[in-house]
Amino acid sequence: MGIPTVGTAPPPRARPPARRRLERRERVQARELTANLVRRDLKVRHRGTFLGMLWSLANPLLVVGLFYLIFRFVLRQQTAPDLPRPDGNDVPFAVYFFCGLILWNLFSNSAANGTNSVVGSGYLLRKVYFPRQILPLSSVLSALVEFGFELLVLLAVIVVFVGPPDLHLLWVPPIVGVVALLSYGVALLLSAVTVFLRDVAHFIGLLLQLGFWATPILYSLQFVADHEAVLRLLKLNPMTGPVVSFRNVVLLNHGPDLGLLAYSLGVALVVLAVGGLAFRRWERLFAEIV
Amino acid sequence: MAGDLAIAVGGLWKSYRKYEQRSHTLKERVLRRAHRYEEFWALREVDLEVPAGTALGIIGANGSGKSTLLKTMAGILTPDRGSVEVEGAMSSLLELGTGFHPELTGRENVYLGGSLLGMRRHEVAARYDEIVDFAGIEPFMDVAVKNYSSGMYARLAFALAVSVDPEILVVDEVLSVGDEAFQMRCFERIAQLRTGGRTIVLVSHSLDTIRSLCTSAVWLDGGTVRERGRAHDVVAAYLGEVHATASHDIDQSPDRRGNRWGSGEVEITDVAFVDGEGAAVGAFRTGEPMTVRLHYRATEARDDVVCGVAVHRADTLVHLFGENTRGAGVPLRLAGEGTIEVLIPSLPFLKGAYVVTVALHDATMARVFDWHERRYSFLVFENPDLPTQVGSVHVPLTWRVSASTMAV
Repeated sequence: MGIPTVGTAPPPRARPPARRRLERRERVQARELTANLVRRDLKVRHRGTFLGMLWSLANPLLVVGLFYLIFRFVLRQQTAPDLPRPDGNDVPFAVYFFCGLILWNLFSNSAANGTNSVVGSGYLLRKVYFPRQILPLSSVLSALVEFGFELLVLLAVIVVFVGPPDLHLLWVPPIVGVVALLSYGVALLLSAVTVFLRDVAHFIGLLLQLGFWATPILYSLQFVADHEAVLRLLKLNPMTGPVVSFRNVVLLNHGPDLGLLAYSLGVALVVLAVGGLAFRRWERLFAEIV
Repeated sequence: MAGDLAIAVGGLWKSYRKYEQRSHTLKERVLRRAHRYEEFWALREVDLEVPAGTALGIIGANGSGKSTLLKTMAGILTPDRGSVEVEGAMSSLLELGTGFHPELTGRENVYLGGSLLGMRRHEVAARYDEIVDFAGIEPFMDVAVKNYSSGMYARLAFALAVSVDPEILVVDEVLSVGDEAFQMRCFERIAQLRTGGRTIVLVSHSLDTIRSLCTSAVWLDGGTVRERGRAHDVVAAYLGEVHATASHDIDQSPDRRGNRWGSGEVEITDVAFVDGEGAAVGAFRTGEPMTVRLHYRATEARDDVVCGVAVHRADTLVHLFGENTRGAGVPLRLAGEGTIEVLIPSLPFLKGAYVVTVALHDATMARVFDWHERRYSFLVFENPDLPTQVGSVHVPLTWRVSASTMAV
């Protein structure tokens, strides 16, 4: 791996011409290392279990089944209080909830694992050089792969219990993209801060719990439509737009809430910029402090 | 950076903060606002240049900054001041099995660990059989490494480590772990990398290792470069200091420093130990061919020169043998520059470190042109093809057992 020029005292010397080739090799190496770390995360998660990778499918299936039982027989809440599907089919509340939940989980897992990614890899930081942002990035990518499995389960459940989705599904990649960007920004920022302030690791769990309730997952925006202040507050949450839009396009066969989604994208880019700057500024100290 | 430099370190300063008690939590931050710490400069104003294709050894006492310098070169630590420039793909080998995950299988760990050593996936794949072969644990490659014995784990980690083939390799002490076979293999690998034109930076506490494997060396003392130059000279200077300060040391003979003297009309400019394939290496196996190659420069043509070579054990300095051209009846006429070779078809020494004296003097020894007292060293490893013997020299022998007629 080539090392970029660092330090300040002597003026930087001219950049050697062979640099470009090296940078490319370095980039490829970084990509492969990221892939290997993601692979490790996923393998380790289910290693030693009987079902192995099947747990990635079984787990969300069990979750949606459990919700169905709870909403059907305990809470007696049957249908979702949101936009009606154009085809008039009922949306079981369990499916409605599951739909918002998996997108929230993508964010929540990325943020929580990403926050610990640098502190948890001290043994690597002290022994090898690699671009440090690989650590939070691989947390987000691992969460994305898990999300992929959950999305497959969700789509199957929707087709069986609700009805076929329509072309609005094409909105899924951009919506997930916004969440991934936001997650990566948060992971970059918090993983760097956690190195200096371990408390963050505890706070993030609490904040994510709060965030869960401050995002319309178990309820819809229509549900709080009468409370102007609450509605405004909810719309400040950058996860509101993606969750509402995701549910619209996957489950309800409606278009996304473009306004909220654009706002989320804006927040994501700001967080990414701040997180990237903080990470770049502090990464030089990681190996010494972690 | 000039085209032929692999690493250039300029005006490098690196400090650590020694906190009395590092405060990691918010409470501690708030309660004790001021961090009480001492700044400790591990490196001060270090300048270094490592030409491509050479091997640099870093020596020094504990805490002299060796590992800090290595980690800074590897990009793991960032300098406070100064610059580190690296030209070429670099791998750092600071411990064995970095990044191995206990839940993953041997195979999976080879790929993961390989990518941390800077190897591409296809590079690992190309060397996979070789790695498994060397580790000798083929039936266990699909078993999680948490179920390995510590020996198996070490073998796998080691096999992976010696399979790296970067343009620049930075190694810290890992050579000193592992058994005989591992060490020999490691020396062979490093010698191989060197002949392949790779650049190597090596930190070791074993001065014999540094002398045997490195072209040049630096001696770090309190974070600054105390001495730099040819590996043999730097090690000699370091040993001189160590022996001067350690008054209780048994061996205080001044010539342990590796002295050199002589009038200089004919000079020894370089000495190399060459193996059977013609490569200059620092380590051999018992029974292998070894050639001691002297390079000389004569400022005036002379025909009264005698060249002598002697070998001592490095630990006890016991004189094992010596021979010169006069005793061998080889006339020498030296003019200009050239080489003198001593060909040993089968090295008789058993495993250990050996130091070598080479000298050019006249027939009566009244006049010494250039005498290098124990300035060179090589290592010998056990040869698995020979019967095990102990001591200093291998004696080919056979046993004969016959029954006594007195026996019942």
